[in-house]
Parts: sequence; structure tokens; C-alpha cells
Amino acid sequence: MAEKENEFRVSPGEAVGVVAAQSIGEPGTQMVLRSFHSAGISSVITTKGLPRIIEIVDARKKPKSPTMRIYMEPGIEKNYEKVRSIWRKVEEVLVSSVIDGFEEDLRTGTLMLKPSKEKLDQFEINQRTLVAKLSQKEGMNVTSDEGIVKIKVKGHEIKQIRTTFVNLLNTPVIGIHGITKALVQQDDDGAFYITTSGSNMEEVVKIDGVDKERVYSNDPFEVMRMYGIEAARALIAHELKETISEEGLDVSFRHLSLLADAMTYTGSIKSVGRHGISGEKKSVFARAAYEETVKHFTNASVFGEVDDLSGVAENILIGKQIGIGTGRVKLGISKADLKKIKGSD
Amino acid sequence: MQAEGIQYIKFTTIPPETIKKISVAKLIVPDTYNEDGYPIDGGLVDQRLGVIDPGLKCKTCGGRAKSCPGHFGHIELVRPVMHPEFAKTIYILLQSTCGKCHRVLLKQEQIDSTEAKASLATTEEESHEVKVSEVEQERIPILKKLKSVKKCPHCGSPQAKLKFERPTFYSIEGNRLKQDEIRDWLSQISDDDLRVMGVDPTATRPEWLVLTTLLVPPVNVRPSITLETGERSEDDLTHKLVDIMRINQRLEQDIEAGAPQIIIDDLWELLQYHVTAYFNNETPGIPVARHRSTRPLKTLAQRLKGKEGRLRYNLSGKRVNFSARTVVSSDASLTIDQVGVPVKIAENLTIPIYITQWNIDHARKFLESKEYPTVVNVIAKDGTRKRVADTNRDDLLKELAPGQILERQLIDGDIALFNRQPTLHRPSIMAHMVKILPGKTMRLHVSATVPYNADFDGDEMNLHLPQSLEAQAEARYLMRPHDMILSPRHGRPIMHIEEDEIAGLYMLTREDALFTKEEACLMLASVGVYELPKAERNGTYHGRSIFSMILPDDLNYEGKSKLGKISIKKGQLTEGIIDESMIGASRGELIIRIFADHGPEAASAFLLNATKLALRAVLAAGVTISISDYYNTEAMNKERFKIIAEVEAKAKQIAENYRAGKLESLPGYTKRETLEIETMAQLNIARDMASEVIKRSLDMNNNAYLMATIKARGNILNFVQTSMFLGQQAIRGRRPSRGYGRRILPYFKPGDKDPGAKGFVRSGFFDGLKPTEFYMHAMGARDSAITKSLVTAVSGYLQRRLINAMQDFYAESDGSVRDANGGLIQTIYGGDGVDPTKEVIVAERKQQK
Repeated sequence: MAEKENEFRVSPGEAVGVVAAQSIGEPGTQMVLRSFHSAGISSVITTKGLPRIIEIVDARKKPKSPTMRIYMEPGIEKNYEKVRSIWRKVEEVLVSSVIDGFEEDLRTGTLMLKPSKEKLDQFEINQRTLVAKLSQKEGMNVTSDEGIVKIKVKGHEIKQIRTTFVNLLNTPVIGIHGITKALVQQDDDGAFYITTSGSNMEEVVKIDGVDKERVYSNDPFEVMRMYGIEAARALIAHELKETISEEGLDVSFRHLSLLADAMTYTGSIKSVGRHGISGEKKSVFARAAYEETVKHFTNASVFGEVDDLSGVAENILIGKQIGIGTGRVKLGISKADLKKIKGSD
Repeated sequence: MQAEGIQYIKFTTIPPETIKKISVAKLIVPDTYNEDGYPIDGGLVDQRLGVIDPGLKCKTCGGRAKSCPGHFGHIELVRPVMHPEFAKTIYILLQSTCGKCHRVLLKQEQIDSTEAKASLATTEEESHEVKVSEVEQERIPILKKLKSVKKCPHCGSPQAKLKFERPTFYSIEGNRLKQDEIRDWLSQISDDDLRVMGVDPTATRPEWLVLTTLLVPPVNVRPSITLETGERSEDDLTHKLVDIMRINQRLEQDIEAGAPQIIIDDLWELLQYHVTAYFNNETPGIPVARHRSTRPLKTLAQRLKGKEGRLRYNLSGKRVNFSARTVVSSDASLTIDQVGVPVKIAENLTIPIYITQWNIDHARKFLESKEYPTVVNVIAKDGTRKRVADTNRDDLLKELAPGQILERQLIDGDIALFNRQPTLHRPSIMAHMVKILPGKTMRLHVSATVPYNADFDGDEMNLHLPQSLEAQAEARYLMRPHDMILSPRHGRPIMHIEEDEIAGLYMLTREDALFTKEEACLMLASVGVYELPKAERNGTYHGRSIFSMILPDDLNYEGKSKLGKISIKKGQLTEGIIDESMIGASRGELIIRIFADHGPEAASAFLLNATKLALRAVLAAGVTISISDYYNTEAMNKERFKIIAEVEAKAKQIAENYRAGKLESLPGYTKRETLEIETMAQLNIARDMASEVIKRSLDMNNNAYLMATIKARGNILNFVQTSMFLGQQAIRGRRPSRGYGRRILPYFKPGDKDPGAKGFVRSGFFDGLKPTEFYMHAMGARDSAITKSLVTAVSGYLQRRLINAMQDFYAESDGSVRDANGGLIQTIYGGDGVDPTKEVIVAERKQQK
């Protein structure tokens, strides 16, 4: 093994970037374009296939289907009741989903809610919590009767009153903002965890009993805000791997990790494309040859930019040998030796 | 010795004075040729700008059409006009400076702090390290804030709001600023203030961006073409320049004649329009200038931009010589690293022989030859190229000396790069040894089709001949097919065995594969083995021992295939059936092992021999299918109808739950969508159930089933769809739902709840489909055809972006990954510095330890 070790090393100069790009791009044609739901009652929708890869690579600020996996602290992860009580705190329940109906009087600005006993019970909320939540809002006069909650809103304009009503109905009673659905699931070891639609790490981590070191979100930006760029880098690589594996395709992790590093090595997440990595290249020619040709040339002349022709694209453009791969190797000769050769000629 | 070439390129704009210096002619006549078809002096094809007609001489350099490089001219604009591509830059500059004293609208202390940074940038600039990102990320945001400054911090005058109207107009409080006013304003901004704003005044003085002189490109940049009718057709740029000059001339005349201001302003604006269109005919806010034929004119920006533009079409991708393209077909007698080249192509392509004292005799033989492998050109020491003909051959032979280069025709053993598009990954270009063959197609071994993704239904491929010795050596030692057996994508074989060959090896290595001496001899002779393995007791030869003859003698392998344990001891296959997981697409264990222990050449030889042996074996055994393979037994048919009934009942149950409001909606979906998804899922299960039935009821005596099981050809789903039923057809991942009112086809009743009315096909190909089912199936097929064409477009763009983002990354000698400017991407490539093609080998070795 030891004597063969060198044989297994990457060759110096190897165009590892292109190899990585090809390795990710080549199986792209075999991936599905639509991210449809693999039906199953107890699963959360996630974007899959090519759309997900593109989403990650584009570094979109808001993923199409953010999701979290919330693990419990080791002490309680096998206790269903406790996990369930945490689950209650996670899923966002809106006012509109615990009422049977409502009546609105736009002249007087009153909204009459009919809380549903059944629905309240289902989410383990009582009417008092609901009233308390509604009272927190400013400018409300909330009165509660048996089976009826009456809210009087200030203001005269119909349009304004109407907006307030709509906002009221979309007020969360319990749960964390942004988490539209949460499900308790059990892994092979019998430990319970929660998967969610929607992601809000900041709030989830505040809940007692949640294992802060294992909380998982598929939103790189959120992970970066919470745990830093290294965590985001790991997440990008991991999500790419998961997405590709799910399609039954095999791409070495090293290519994905190189892409993740390329996207994050500056300290912030940069997208692959004209607004990210490719658009911020030093070389004017490299940028111009990619997209927005004229813009790059005009700006370069105003700022007096200098292209020192160090990259691949520039050298191809001007017809020189590229500086990577075998083109990286250069032969030198000392002046003395050169003289000797010339002398003998 | 070769010069170092270009070191760096600095971008600047050309000041008007320089334009006049570059220019060889001031153009004054807005026309091209006179009635005699002769170029007008001072016109747009003035002979001082170079010539394109053969026979004419350039009045500047005296060169002819081919030797004259072309010379620039200029047009003096009577009134200044904006350069449209800089309109936005100018807007930012105007906004950021005072309308009265023209100083930058930053407070002195802000200027001082940015100047400190700027001076830092100048020192860096001396080493050509301008920080673009600094300009774009730091300066521009600062400047953007300046538009809301109300009062100049320097002279105290109030700042009116400046409005930019596309494409090239600016106004203050409804009063349009004239181009000359803008030019004056810009010229009064000091160099120091410009530096504060990030502008390099040595590269661009902002007043240069308002044009007073227009540089006119040489004629050979905009050549006119002569049609068959003898009519001249000018280039789009010439047309636009004529427009500019015509308006310029009229404007001049009107000004001299003292025409009213309105007329002058109108002409001025028209001049501005023509100049704008000349630079970029797609500038937003201007009407597109068109050719007589209503085709939009291709002006300067259009020449550079996009896929067909100068950069991507001519500079990033170049046309090459020494290449060939034709249809490919297969040839089983070639090795994997050969390529069959038609004689016709070989006669036309050449390889240089660099003559030295050591190879002069070898070279002479080619020059002496009057037919096929002969010399086409002789390149003398001074670089002049002479074509070899029978008339001058003897002379050339006499002059033959070291230092000359002969261009000889292609012969066996030359190295050639072979490529098929789309070139999606590294093994899409490999270096093959040339083998000259009769016929008109290029030929390759079937095992080499996989990395190219080629088949022989009319595919064409390209052949390139590296000319320099360095390039040939590089191809020979780095790009041969056997070096590409293991994919850089995952470290597993991409060159492997498929279809018939898999069936062949199965037939060869299964338990009861016994062959007579004659059969064994035939098979082994096909791979060049002329001795027999040890015979069985009854005098027959087991397929395994025959197969073992092509294994390296010291190969030891223990593993599991899909069909059971595999055991190879000292090059003898003692147990197990060689299947797809050993040498096929999924894992290719055996190939990896031979590659790792015995090297690329051995792996390539093994692949080749295995192919040949397998084809003999499959020929001997005969694997054929017939319609009877798909015939259902009574019991199978019973189960088939049971499955259909079962899933349909379940689907009905779901529908009833939905109507009763008992259906729990899936997260993120409405109840209605949930109904659809769950019904679909339920109906899809039918296929899985049916494939279980097939697996239970059939055995390896059914050849169609056998081929599906060993992954030679087809899969169980094909089987299910043939002998059982097609199952649910999908459009956009859902059941068909659009069409004829509340039904898919007029055959159904509106709102029909039957699964068949929504694309569930109960018949199989064996029985034939009902008309409605056929329609549903066609819909599904069309959808998947459309989807496929979309995926290629989307993933093609993804690939382009990825490559563009990462193309500069390379592995440094210390194992780190760097970008073009030495930036550190990874400290150790992939965390372990391992070559991706060797990744699986390394992982396996680690496991063994």
C-alpha cells in the first residue's frame, strides 16, 4: 500500500474543477425535472431531482420547500409523550384553523369568531389561550363568551378593517412562525424526531428538549446564520449528495464538496452563475466570455481593469496554452547550460 | 526561442485625440461606391481603410486584400452624442457630482478616508492587481447613496434631482440636458474626484464617453459581398455608418444655414439614435434598426454577444484543422483502444515528421512512395510549404535534410483523439490508435461506446490528429481508453460489458455450463488462447474453467454477486456466476480488481477477451425470446385480475373517504390534491404487485425473464407491461385530468369515477390495448418525450454554469485545490488528496486492512 500511495494521489495540475463540474452535470440528463411527491402519509414534501440541485447551486435565499428535522435530547428522545409536547410547540396553528367560522361586521368593525371545540381539542388549546393570543395585538377589544369570541377593531376605513380581519385570522395561536406542518417520526432505534414543512431554526432551538447540535434544516442561508459558513458548506455538499443519491445516481462526494467549497470559500454563500462565482471572477475576459459580454467590457474600461490572463478562459481566448493540467509544467534552463548547448551547435 | 507573449491586457476607452491619431482618413461622404463600382474617396469604403477586392491595392500600406490588415478611419460628429453602453455609468457620475462646482458629493473627511484606500489600490495596480470586487462592492454602493444628497458639501449649492430616461437622455426638473452640456459637466470633474469614485482617469476621462469623434472600423471588418446578380450588398455596420454620416452631414448643413433650433435638435436626436443603434441595436428604449428585408441589423454589441457572438463562437471555441467527421459503426475485431479510419480520410489527413539525422531514412521512404502512405507537403526550414507532386518529388528528395518537416498521410498506429458530442465528461474524448480500414465509416469497439454514449444508428463522431510531438505523447500517455476505464465521477468502471455479453457470461459460468472439447477450443481460440483448461471427469469442459483462462494467473477475489458468492483463487473461478454486478454497469467489481492489481492494460485486455468469449458463449447457448415467454398461465391471469380488482377497490375506498370528509390531507396539499395523490399511489402499487407475481411464477427457463433478471436486456417492468397490464399512465406526474370537459375522452361519461377513465390501463401489450387505453398510453408517452427534451436543456445550462464557475480550479503539487489566482479552495483535495478515478480502489484497500 505504502509504495502505491503516490499512484492514488491526484496528479498535480489536474483540472479538478472541471472534473467536478462534469461529474455533477453529466448525470443531470438522467435526473427528473419534476419534483413530485413520493406519496406516503407520513412524509413531508421536499423539492427533488434537478430542480433541487439548481436551487442549491443558485443559492436561492428562500428554498421552495424548506424542511427541518428536529432531534430530541438523548434523555427524552424515546419518550413519545414528551416529544409530542414539543411537537405541539413547533407546528404553527393559525386562528383560522381552530374556528368553525366567523361573522364580520364592517360597519362597526367587529369580528365574531366561533372557536371549534373539536379543533381546539385536537391541537390541545383552550379558548383562553386563543383569547390571550388575540388580546396581545394592539388596538383590539376582545371579549369572550361561551363559544364565541368577539373582537372590536379600531378604525373606520373599510379597507383597513378588512385587512385587520384577514391578519387576525392568520395570527398563529401556538407554534413557530413558518412551520406549516410538523410530524413526529420514529427512527430504527426507536428514537422520536420531528420533521417539518417550513424552517425556522432560530425559534426551534429555543425550545427545551430540542438537541441543538443535531437540528437539521435544508436551508443553507438559515444554517449559515445560525451555525456559520462551515456548517452551510457541509449542508450544501450533504444536500447535493442526498438529492443525487435519491435519483439512484452515483457521484463521488469529493466533487460535491469541491462545489460546496467553491460556493463558500469567500465566507458567504455565492451562487454558481453570473451573479455569483462566475460574475465575480477577476478576469474581464472570463466574465465577458460567460454572460453579459458588453457590460463587462464597458465597466472594465471605466475602472481601468487589468486582465493578467491567469485563468483558463482568458488563455483560450487569446490562443495561449492554458495554465493547468500539463500546461502547468514548465521547463527551465540555466543560462550556463543554455550556453553549453548553443556552443556545441 | 519563443517570446513570452502577452503578459496582461488593460482596458481603457479611446480619447478623441487618439482616435484622430489612429485614423488614416477622415470620412466625409455618406456613400460607398460610385456608379462605376469604384470606392469613393472619403466614403465608407475609402481605399485608405484597406481593400477587400482582389486586385486593388491599399492606399495606406500598399498591401493587397490578403496582406493588408485594414486601417481605421474616423467621422467628426458636428454635435456630441452619448455612447449608449456608458449611459448608466454617466448617470452615476452625474448623480454623484455637484451640478455647479462638479465636485463629488462626498464630505471632505469621507473623501480622505476613501483616498487612503485608493492610494493603496494604486500601489497594487502597479503589480496589475486591481481589485475589481472592491470597486464594485464598495464604491458603487457609496455612490448610490449620493443621489439623495440635497446640498453640495463643497460649494453649498442645492442639488436638483437628476432623471435618467432610457436610452441616453438625462433631465433636471423636466429640462433635458443636452449632450454638450453633459460633456462639459463631465470634463470638469477632477481626476482626484474620479479616483474617489473608483474611476481610473488614466483609462477613461468621463467626457470621452460623450463622443465627438467616431472611430470607423476598417473595411475588412465589415466586408461587402457581391451577389450572383453582380449587385453589391453592404455589411450591417456599413449601413449604419452611412446613416450616421448622412444625418451628420445634414445637421452640419442646417447649422451653417442657421436653421431653427427645433430642426437642429430633431436632427441631433436622430444622430443620437443612429449612433445608439450602431453600438447596440438591442438597446432598450430604441426602435430596432432593420434591414430592407426587415431583418434586424447586427451591430457592434450583437457581434460580440451570446452564443453566436465573437467571444463564445470564435474565441472560446475555435475551428480546427487535421480533423475528420463521419458516421461510426462497430467492428468486433478491433481492440478497445483502436479506431478504424476509412482510407479516404487517411489519405487526406496528415501527420508531420520532424526530420532529424536519426529519422531521415524513415522519412525518405514516405517521400519516395508514389501511392498511399506518401508525403503530401514538405515544409522547408524557412517555413515555406511545398506540395509534393510527381513532377517535383525527385527535387524534394535531393533537398531532404534535417530541420525540414514532412507531412505524411495517416497510417496504422498513429494516435488520434476521438470525440462524440455532447462532450459531457472527460471520457467523451479519448485517444485511439489509428487502424486504416476499407469502407466509409469510422469504427470502434462496442465496449468503447459506453463512455461516448454512442450507438450505431447513424451517430457521427469527430477525429482529431495531434500534430506536435508533445501533444501526441500527452494523448498516448494520458488519454487512452484503458486510462479511462474507471470514471472520475465515482471511481467505478464506465467501460464495461452489456446486453448479449452479460447473457454470454451467465451462460458460460452457470452451474451446468459444460462444453465439449470442440466448443471449448473454438471459444478459447477466439481470445487467442491455444491451450485447454483442466477437463471435467466426463471429458467435458466447464464454462468456469474456460472463463478462468482469461483471468490473470495471480488474481484472488472473494465477493458477492447478485446471484450468489463469487470466489476466484489464483486466477481460477471456483464458485459463482459472473453477472452484471461483476463486469456490468452497476458496480463492475471484477474490473476494478483487475485494474487495481494488474493495471489498466490488463483491465482493458480482460474486457476485450471477456467480450469475445461471451459472444461465443451466447452464440453456443442461444438465448432467444418468443411470444410464448410472455404467455400467462391460468394462475397468473387469475392473480392479474385480482390485483387490478384489489387496487381499484382501494382507490374507490379513498374516494369514498374523501367524499365523507374523512381523508386526512397531506402536508402542503389540499384535500382534492391529496385524493389524487393517494389514488395514484394506490394504483401505482399494482405494477409492483404484478412484478412480484412474475418473479414468483417464472424461472430461468424463460429467456425473457432470464435476461431481465441478469440485467442483460429489459426489466421486470417491461415484462409486467407486456404480459400483465400497463398500469397507471401519468401526465406531469399526475393522472390525466384535462381534456374534454369533465372527462378525458368523449367516450367517458362526465365525472366518471372509474380508474380507467383517468388513465389506468388494465390491458397489457400481449392482449392489446382498448382504444381509450391506447389514447391514454399515447398521452403518457408524449408527456415523457416532452419532459426529456426539457431536461436536456435545463441540465445543459447547469453544466455550462458549473464548468464556468470551476474551470480554473486545479490540484497543486501540495494536494491543495487552487483557483487561477492562487486562491485556496480546499486545503487537501476531497479531504484526502485521492485521485477520483482511484477512489473506489483506495476505499477497498482500506477495508481489507
